Amino acid sequence: MVFDRRARLRIRPADNPFASHRIDALVFRSTGPKPEDLAERLDALGGRADVVGPEGSGKTTLLEELSRRLDGEVALVPLSGTSRRPWSTVTARLPHPVDGRHSVLVDCAGLLGAAGRLMLRRRCRNARRLVITSHQPGRLPTLVDCQTSPELLADLVCELTPEHADRLDPILEELFRRHHGNLRLCFRELYDAFAGINGKFSILNSQLSVAPPTRR
Amino acid sequence: MTNMLTIRTDGGRTWFRPGEIVEGDVSWLLDTDADDLEIRLFWYTSGKGTRDVEIVDSSRTSVPGQNGNRSFRLQASDGPYSFSGKLITLSWALELVVDPGGVSERLDLVIGPQPIEVQLGRPDGF
Repeated sequence: MVFDRRARLRIRPADNPFASHRIDALVFRSTGPKPEDLAERLDALGGRADVVGPEGSGKTTLLEELSRRLDGEVALVPLSGTSRRPWSTVTARLPHPVDGRHSVLVDCAGLLGAAGRLMLRRRCRNARRLVITSHQPGRLPTLVDCQTSPELLADLVCELTPEHADRLDPILEELFRRHHGNLRLCFRELYDAFAGINGKFSILNSQLSVAPPTRR
Repeated sequence: MTNMLTIRTDGGRTWFRPGEIVEGDVSWLLDTDADDLEIRLFWYTSGKGTRDVEIVDSSRTSVPGQNGNRSFRLQASDGPYSFSGKLITLSWALELVVDPGGVSERLDLVIGPQPIEVQLGRPDGF
């Protein structure tokens, strides 16, 4: 951290407790299956399952956690950010051919559309496992229903910045409600608060304050 | 036994000017034989949003054995400089990586006209 001319604490982006690499390092947690039980649960479902939940509820984090726990060859296909040509991303990432050695995990499968998802199931019909993420339950059995809560947000904030957790606690419930439970958006606003980017909250010199309206 | 990797730059330097040669030596003491060792000079971003990384120069040693040392000579690019703004920190580093296994060691550097990273943007300030 460095101090600016006005002697206010200025945090480097790399040191911001809500920097993306720190968020990415969070371990998935849920009220459902424990991470160590996911692989067994998936196989009990016949190797075909859906991870369901709203935006920012941890589906991607769970999929990445699952990919580390599966044996055999794992193909992780991230489709977020590929809304224009998601099927091209799928074909580029899938093994050729997909066979019984492979576990295929597709994030944001909803971007494929109904026809694309059908093509995916056909393409992966011989795969040992197929897991997709989506916002709503579909044809596949649900492996985990990711739900967020203010308590979960508080728990994660405490892990990311234990020294500031008490100061942040009063605002978390309102933050959670304002972002409709989307933890990703909550973390972005908290990033801005620590970075001193104009927003509703700020952390200056370890003090939480509500910023005055910006003059125009 | 625990793997031990060491990176040292000539004179213990951690600041280099853009385009300058980064020289030093590495040493290793491994639990098992490795196929390859690679020393990389790279920059990476951290902060808000997607992370970027680029390996600017690297040098590989095949069949390095369980222990040894060797010198390296890598060249920094003319940019980007090490900097921190509000959204992004761009950092430079040397990294020694063992293949297979991924055991690694990193040494942070500053690449730029000054010995400290460039500070971008105005301070948080209402």
